[in-house]
Formats: sequence, C-alpha cells, structure tokens
Amino acid sequence: MEQPRVGTDIQFAICGSAGDGTIAAGDIMKRAAALMGFKVIAFDIYPPEIRGFGKCISRIRISDAQTYSLKRHSDVLISLNDAHAIPHVGEVRDFGAVLFEDNSIAELPEGGHISAHIRAAQVPYGFGIREISEKATGLARSRNIAALGYAAGLFNMPPGIFHQIIAEKFAKKPRAVTEDNTRAFDAGVEAAARVFKLDDVSVGRPLSAASGADAVMMTGNGAIARGFLEAGIQAYFGYPITPASSIMERMAAALPREGGRFLQTEDEISAIAATLGAGYAGARAATATSGPGLALMTEMMGLGVMAEVPFVVAVSQRGGPSTGLPTKTEQSDLNLAVYGGSGDAQRIVLAPTNVEGCYRCAGMAFEIAETYQTPVVLLVDLYLSNRFETVIPPRKNIFAPKPRKTPKMGKGEEYQRFRLTESGVSPRSIPGEAGLTHTVTGLEHDEIGHPSDRLHNEMNAKRHHKLLPATHFPGLTTQKRFGDSGKVDVGLLGWGSTFGEILETLYTAQGQDIRVAVMKVVMLSPLPVDEIAAFMDDCTHVLVPELNFEGQFANMISGATGRPVTRLTQTTGAPMLVDDILAELHRLIDSPAPPPTSSHRTAEGVRA
Amino acid sequence: MNANAFKAKDYKSDVTPIWCPGCGDYHVLMSITKAMADLNRDPKDMAVISGIGCSSRIPAYTNCYGFHGVHGRSLALASGLKVSRPDLTVLVMSGDGDGYSIGGNHFLHACRRNIDMTYIVMDNRVYGMTKGQPSPTTEPDWDSALSPGGTGLSPFQPLVIALASGANFVAREFSGDIKNTTKTIVEAVNHPGFSFVEILSPCVTFRPDERAWKGAVHRASVDETDDPARAARRILTDDGLNTGILYRGKRAPYQAHVKDEAGDAGILDARFKV
Ligand SMILES: Cc1ncc(C[n+]2csc(CCOP(=O)(O)OP(=O)(O)O)c2C)c(N)n1
Ligand code: SF4
Ligand SMILES: [Mg+2]
Repeated sequence: MEQPRVGTDIQFAICGSAGDGTIAAGDIMKRAAALMGFKVIAFDIYPPEIRGFGKCISRIRISDAQTYSLKRHSDVLISLNDAHAIPHVGEVRDFGAVLFEDNSIAELPEGGHISAHIRAAQVPYGFGIREISEKATGLARSRNIAALGYAAGLFNMPPGIFHQIIAEKFAKKPRAVTEDNTRAFDAGVEAAARVFKLDDVSVGRPLSAASGADAVMMTGNGAIARGFLEAGIQAYFGYPITPASSIMERMAAALPREGGRFLQTEDEISAIAATLGAGYAGARAATATSGPGLALMTEMMGLGVMAEVPFVVAVSQRGGPSTGLPTKTEQSDLNLAVYGGSGDAQRIVLAPTNVEGCYRCAGMAFEIAETYQTPVVLLVDLYLSNRFETVIPPRKNIFAPKPRKTPKMGKGEEYQRFRLTESGVSPRSIPGEAGLTHTVTGLEHDEIGHPSDRLHNEMNAKRHHKLLPATHFPGLTTQKRFGDSGKVDVGLLGWGSTFGEILETLYTAQGQDIRVAVMKVVMLSPLPVDEIAAFMDDCTHVLVPELNFEGQFANMISGATGRPVTRLTQTTGAPMLVDDILAELHRLIDSPAPPPTSSHRTAEGVRA
Repeated sequence: MNANAFKAKDYKSDVTPIWCPGCGDYHVLMSITKAMADLNRDPKDMAVISGIGCSSRIPAYTNCYGFHGVHGRSLALASGLKVSRPDLTVLVMSGDGDGYSIGGNHFLHACRRNIDMTYIVMDNRVYGMTKGQPSPTTEPDWDSALSPGGTGLSPFQPLVIALASGANFVAREFSGDIKNTTKTIVEAVNHPGFSFVEILSPCVTFRPDERAWKGAVHRASVDETDDPARAARRILTDDGLNTGILYRGKRAPYQAHVKDEAGDAGILDARFKV
C-alpha cells in the first residue's frame, strides 16, 4: 500500500449514477485544489452509453509534490449512488473516509445499504445529503454540491475558492443556479463542522508557494490542442472518433479565430490526405484519430514518407483490434503507429508520458516534421487524453514557428527536390516559389522527383538516415533515466501513460532495500537505441510494463538491442496498478538473472 | 491575338509521357496547358494534383507544382491544399477508376463541400494502367477477357452524381476536341466553387472501340443552365456522348469560417484556467 507522503497527498473518489452530477462535483474539486496551488491528477470514468444511469466515477489526487499516477487506494469515497459506490468501498484505505447518504436502513433491501460494506478500519460519514440540498435550495438537485461542501468542510478546504469555481462553472446559467449551489455547498460545510474529524488529513494549504494562478488544468487532449495552437497550426482536418474527438472539438472552436482552416472530412483517409496536402503546400497541418482511423491512414503515412511531406498525426489509443473497446484505454497501436503501411516507411513517433509532455511534444511536433520533412505521429492513449493534470505553461510562447527559408539555386542549377545530401534532408520548396516548381510522387523517384527505380536503395537510405539525429532533437526529451545510478537489480522501461505508474513504482520501491532505476522512452521511432542499450546494460533484470497483450514495446527494444527483457502486459481496459508492477519487480529480484543469450521471455504477469 | 505573358509550352515539362501512342490523354495534356495559358497564371501559382492511373501521370508533364499521390485520394489531398492556400489555382486530375471507384466517396463530398477548384476526370471506361479491367463507367455488355460476357452492372453516372451532390459547374468534353475542351476548362477554372469536367479520353490499347468516339460525340443541342432541375431533366435523356457545359450553378463556394474575435491559444484554456 502507498505510504502517505510528507504534506498533502489525498485522493478523492466521487461515485454516482449519470445524472447525479458526479463528474461536475469532481470538476469543481479538482479546479479548486489547483487554484489553491496543489498538483492535481484526475481521471473520470463514464458509462460507455450516452443515455441511461450507468456508473460515473471521478478520481482526484491532490498533492504537494508532483505525482505521476492515481493511487490504487483512495483516501475518501463520496457516494452519490450506493449501488454504484458499494463495489468501490474496498478501494478506500484504512482510516480513509466513506461519505454517504444516511438513508434509513429499513428502506433498503438487506446488504443494499453502503454502511454494511464499510470495514471497521474505515471511517463512515453518513449524513443527510438530500436533506441538506433541499433545505438550502428547495430541491434535491444540488446533492452533489452539498456532498462536496461536506467533504471540503471535513478536510478544512477554504470555501472561498470553491465559491469562485462554482460561480465560474455556472457563469452561463441563470444567477440562481450559482446561488443555489453556493448555498448547498455552504450547508454541506456547516454540516461537516459538527462532526468528528480525522486529524491526520487536512487539505488547507499547499506546502510549496507554487502559484495556483499560473497553473492550468488540462487534459492530455487539451494539452495537445494547446501545443498545436502555440506552434501556429494553420490547418486541421479530422473525423470524429473516441477518444481523439476532443482535439478536433478544440480545433473547430479555435482555428477560425486563429485565421486557420478547419474541416471535418468524410473519413480518416481524407483527413490525413487533406493534412498531407496542406503540409505539402507549406501549412502547419495536423489531424487526430484513434486506432481504427490510424488503420485507414497508413497508406497516406507511406505517401508522406515517400513524398517527404511534413505533417502531424495525433493518435489516442483505445482497446482494439477493430472497433474494440472505444471507451477503455490500451497501448496496442504501437506497432501500427511505428510500422503501419507498405514498404520501409520510417517516420517519427513521439509518445509523451504525461499531460505536460503532451503539450511539449505537440508544440514541437511541427518543427520536428519540418526539420526532417516527414510525418510525425503523436501517440497517446485514452487514459492520457482524458486525464487532468495541472500544468504551468511557460509565460512566453516557445513553440512559435520560425520563418521559412526558400531554397537558393545557383545560376543554371536545376532544382532537385530529393537531392541526395549528406544529412539526407533535401531542399524543400512549396507552391508559389519561383523557379522551383516540381512534381512529387508516391512512386520511387530520382533526385528531381521523376519516377525511377534506379536510386531505390539510396532513397531508402536517405529517408531512413535523415531521421536518426531526431533522437537528439534540441529541447526535446527523447528518453530519460530516473532512480538509482549505476548497476541496479531491476530496470523498468516504459512509454506513454503507463510511465506514470512506473515512476510511482520507483518512488515506492526506493523506500525498500533494493536498487531500481527506470527509463522513459518518448521517441519510439527512431528509437534512442544507444541510451536504451546502455541503460539495459546496467540492469540485472529489465521489466517492461505496458497495456497490450504481446508486449509490443518489449518486442521493439529487445529486437533493437538484442538484450533479454521481461514483459508485464495487461489488457483489462484499465491503467496498470503500481502494486502489480511492484509485485513483478519483487518476483524478478528473487529470480536468477536471465542468460544474456536468451532473447524473449513470455509474460508471467499477463492477466485475462 | 494573345497578350498573355505565358504560352502553352510554358506549362509543359520536358518529361516524356509514358502513354501509348494515340492515347486520348495526350490531347487532355494539350488542352490543360492551353487553358492555363489562356488563364495566364504563373505556373508557380498552379497546383496539379492526381491519384494513380495512366491519366493520373499528368502532373509531371506540366511545369506547375505537381502532386502524383496515391490511388483515389486526389480530391481529399487537393481539398487540404486549397483551403490552406487559397491563393493557388488547383486542378485535380483523375481517371474513371481513380475518381469514381476507389475515390468515389471523396467525389460526393468534394461536390458537397464546393471548394473552389477544378476536377477533371479522363474517362476511358476502363482501368488502363492495370491492363484492361472494367471500371465503374464501363458499359454492362463490354465483353472482354477480364469481364467475360460483360459486367451486367449499370454504369456509374458521373454527371448525374456531380449534379445531385452539389457540384457548381458540370461539363463533358471529348479529348479529341481540343478547342472546346480548352474553352470549357477555362470556364470551369474561372467559375467559383467546385467545377467538374468529365473528358471522354479513349484508351486505344484496351478499348480500341473508343476510337469511334471521334465520330460519335456531338455538341449538346440544349444550352447550359443554372437551374439544377432543368439540368437534371436533360441529363436523364443523355446518351453519354453529349458534350458541352451542362450546368453552371450559383452556390456560394466554400469559405473559411472566420470569427472576428481576436484571440490566442489561451482562449480555449480560459475555461480551464483556475
Ligand atoms: C491502393 C491501390 N489499389 C490498386 C492500385 C492499382 N491500380 C493502379 S491504377 C489502377 C486503376 C486506374 O484506372 P483509372 O483511374 O481509370 O486510370 P487509367 O489508367 O484508366 O487512366 C489501379 C487499380 C493502386 N495503385 N493502389
Ligand atoms: S493503356 Fe490506355 S489509358 Fe493507358 S496510356 Fe495506353 S492508351 Fe492510354
Ligand atoms: Mg480509366
């Protein structure tokens, strides 16, 4: 179980039925905590169906120090619907609190009352949520806010900040909505003032003086959209798909204002084709999709590689194959993102590991694409796309595009769009530039661009080699090691959203008597192989936790380095649990080192 | 008298076409370069976009910025190019397989979207490049080794579909009639919105019967119209060999939707700002 850290590190889980205001209450809680100056990570789970009364849970982790994942155990559970919340009582830690509607037991079938499920070590807070709301507003509708007020009161959170967030949240509604909710909130606070309080948890004031006013609460997708906008994106083309649509929604809202172009296309093929067309014409252009859309886009990805056109494709993975699990997270489109398409079509793939990383990678993606004249894939997953984190963006835009340089031609020199240069990068002209007209083609071509098989080998080498320096692109973290330096018992290699749990695993394990290090790999193509291999050399065991069945990243790095790795894979639709990674880590420490010649070991940790 | 700065040859590259001798596409190349000269636009400000097929090889034979892309996706690619670079004159060049089969859905949506560009399809009612398979416009009784006894399928009706889908300019020409084809292309480019020109362009190798088109095509006896209902009535009695402009519509072309409010990237996050 997690050790509470110094200072505040508290996780709330709010659970209710669609329509109970569960997500809204969670939203107010996370914004209030961020405004107070805390670091926040939050993730909401909705029912897959649009209508109905499915279960909603909002989990919000509030802490002084930067954290990297949600905790397995919540400190507080707020039930707005006992039937949905009962299965989650178990996730509340010992001495954690469970807040629930104090119904009369007689009204419910046996075992239906949540109090029957609360362990002796947990602290029950039953109170009249409905009654508080009705007394304050005349209606039961503000139950969620009354419960929120009670929780805020219980943990000494300053009501003024909540008032401000409530007012902002309901600013577009009639004034009475803000007033009612504020009254319901205050009534909740007041009710909590009369009860026994746990004295070890209080969320009054953050330890550090980090200014809440600079913090922006962003989802991964919001961060990608913001990065795109700050990089001066000029054109966005997209087709709706969960969990990527929220990028498109932001582009639709923002691009007209930015003087850019936005089109919802007829499918993903046209979305990427239009993106490529805009990129060819010199615009900073992007699209976003999920696995099924990426599958349709692979032919155009190859054309982008062949015609050497810069553009950006953001991909938010969900469960697959096929339509798969549209509302569940997975990391199983790695192979598709890196290898998808015909021929040898190496492209750049970046996989940020947290929300801030989404912002940075999206902000830099166009510059990288333009530098190497190639498509760049930004690979995230539903868990990262939808989770909230506090980010403090730089005050000054660091991603603004630099002016384009038109290739200069010597007198009588013929322009060669695909000239074989030392770096592999050729002078690129865009339509409208005089003396540089040319035709690009998806056929293999010579240096001018005329269809020809003659230089296929050289052109393949050019397209491949020109990307290699990207692993050291200035200002971009393509990989990074954390934890113990030198030789370690176990090294964990991670990518994408799962790296959050890997880092939490490291910090948990560091309190124990073992030597552990972790490495995050952000650039998945081309791979920073030298750094990965050097890291693996330091590790007796290498463990690769990831959310797919086969261990796609493990295959990739063991293939690239020829070194043995142990896979920990999971396809439950949920993020990995720190405890599970930790258990696998301990199992490895107790096993003999793998012989250096073995190439693959199959997963022990695979769960159905 | 031609006061224009550019001549047709200024739009021709020195690349030798791969086409068979006698292929109708040579004439289309002549017509588009003549039309470009009449339009008097600098080649550097014109983009010629295509897919895959014999016909789709045409961009490299011009001196403009060309893009020979993948099979069936030329309209999608060109749409992105044109909306982000409205200053360019965009010609999209396709074949009946490229444009009506694999690219059929993009055709419908390009007509609907009405972006200001010109779509020219070189229809030879066969897949030339892949050696003679039937295409969507192939006659149902065209008997060949690759379609024994004919396909029995009713052919795709490009003009009807363009009209029904919202194209703003619809015409048919015959490649051998360079004079009229050139004129119609100029009209198509000058007309705002999405203009569609179907050009009957014989494949002498796999459809030698199409050599007979030369004597069979005829100028439409009815004038062009801006009334979609009249155009629709005319097209229903069409024999497929009528040439000329059928429809010149008045739909407003795609216009980038631009809001007045000035703003920056921060606007979106304003509601997440805490
Ligand atoms: C995705 C894909 N599928 C199939 C092909 C093979 N192919 C090349 S050209 C062509 C048909 C071209 O027919 P059309 O557009 O009528 O052009 P034509 O050669 O008749 O001018 C096909 C099927 C391809 N290049 N790409
Ligand atoms: S095969 Fe037909 S379409 Fe292709 S070049 Fe030859 S004649 Fe023209
Ligand atoms: Mg054809």
